Amino acid sequence: MQPFDYVAADSVEKAVKILIDNSPSARPVAGATDVLNDIRRGLVEPRMLVDISGIAELQGIEITDRGLRIGSLATHTEIIKSPLIKEHAPALADASLTVGAVQTRNMGTLGGNLVSAVPSLDGAPVLMALDALVTIAGSAGREEVALRDFFLGPRQTVLGTDRILVDMLIPKANLGKATSFAKFGLRKGQALALINVAASLHVDAATGRAAQTRIALGAVAPKPIHASEAEAFVDANAPGEETFSEAGRIAATQASPIDDFRASAAYRIELIQVLTRRALSEAYSQATGGPEGR
Amino acid sequence: MIEVNITVNGEARTAEVPPETTLLTLLRDWGLTGTKLGCDEGDCGACTVLLDGMSVNGCLVLAGRANGCSVSTVEGLSVDGRLHPLQEAFEQHASLQCGFCGPGILMSAKELLDANPSASKSEIRIALSGNLCRCTGYVKIIDAVAEAGAKMAAHGGQSNG
Repeated sequence: MQPFDYVAADSVEKAVKILIDNSPSARPVAGATDVLNDIRRGLVEPRMLVDISGIAELQGIEITDRGLRIGSLATHTEIIKSPLIKEHAPALADASLTVGAVQTRNMGTLGGNLVSAVPSLDGAPVLMALDALVTIAGSAGREEVALRDFFLGPRQTVLGTDRILVDMLIPKANLGKATSFAKFGLRKGQALALINVAASLHVDAATGRAAQTRIALGAVAPKPIHASEAEAFVDANAPGEETFSEAGRIAATQASPIDDFRASAAYRIELIQVLTRRALSEAYSQATGGPEGR
Repeated sequence: MIEVNITVNGEARTAEVPPETTLLTLLRDWGLTGTKLGCDEGDCGACTVLLDGMSVNGCLVLAGRANGCSVSTVEGLSVDGRLHPLQEAFEQHASLQCGFCGPGILMSAKELLDANPSASKSEIRIALSGNLCRCTGYVKIIDAVAEAGAKMAAHGGQSNG
C-alpha cells in the first residue's frame, strides 16, 4: 500500500480542521473497509488518513424529538442488532444484513457506506424511502440535507474533501412506516447488488389507498434514485398486484442500468420490474397487517 | 512511524510501524503466521481475527486502528496444550484439506459460538459467508462447527476443558 500519514481525531471540529488544513489530500476513515481497498487499487491516493472512529458524537442510535438518529459510525452489525432499528425501521436492518459478510459488517459503518457513494450501496434505498436527512459538518458549521440530495454521482457526494457526515435522521413521521428492502445479487453471501430497491407506503384507513409511496432504487443509475413517477402512480391507483406490477414497469423506465460482467442492462431492467413489485407488495402487506406484516 | 500497543492472545505487545501497516502484516511480522494473507482485499476471510471479540479481516484494519485493542488469533485457541472444541471437531470431521482457510474459519466460528453455541446450520452458514474454502465444499466444516457448538453448550459455554 502506498504510504500515508495517520492521525486520529477525537472531535468533529478537530477532524474537520485537519481535513481543511490538508485538503484535498486527506481523507476521513472509519471502518476503512472501502478506503483501504480504494487506496490499494489506486482509486484514491490520500497523503493522510484522519481516523474518526473514536469520535463519540458520531456514535449511537437513539430516538430524539425529531425522529430516529443514527450516528454515522453505527456499524452494520450495530444496525442489525439495534432494538430501536428493529422497532422503528426494521427494513434498514434487512439492508445492512446484505452488506458484505460478518467481518465487513463488524467494521463497516452505515455512514461510510453512504459516503462511499458507489451506485450499488445497500445503505441508501431504505433511508431514502423513509425521507432520511443527513447532518454534514464543515468549516461553516453544521448543515442538514435530504439524503436524496446527498449523492452527486459514482463515488461523489456533496461532502467534497473537507466535510464529514455526522448522522442520519429518519423523521418522526416515518418511524414505523411500512417498508420493504429487496436486493438481487449473484450469490446469497458477500455479493454486490445487481439492483436493490426499497419501497415504503402508508395505507389510508378510510380509502384503502396507498399514500406517500416511496420507491428508491440502487445500482441502476450513477447514484441511488427515486422512481418518482412510479411513486405517484401507486398513490393514484387502487393498491394491488396489478398496480404494483405497473409501478415496476414505470420504475424501470426511470433507470439507466449499465451492462457489465455481472449482468446485462436488459437483465437489470427485468430485475427492477420484479423487485419493485415485490417490495411494494411486501410493504403493502405490512401496512395492512397481511401475512408478511411484521 | 506510529506506535501501537495491542494485547494479542492475552499478551501485551508494542511496535513502531509505518501508518499504512495492516493488522494482518503486523501479526505476521510478530511471528503469528497462523493468520493467513489471502486476497488482501477483504473477500476471502483467511486473515480473520477477533478485534475486541468481533471478527474482522486483518487486511482491512490498520494497525493504528487496533491500538489499545485486544486481538485473538488462531494461535490463542488452544490453552495449555488442550485443543479448543472447534479444533477437536475440525480434526474429527477432517474438515480441512489444504488448511489455508482454517485459521480464519476457526476465528469466525469462535465469534459465533461464543455468542450462540446452539447456532443452527443456517446461522453457521451466514457466520462463515465471509470465509472462502476452495477445497472442501463446506459440509464438513459446518458439521464440525455445529458439533463444537453442541459441546460448548453442554459445558455451559466453556471453550476449553
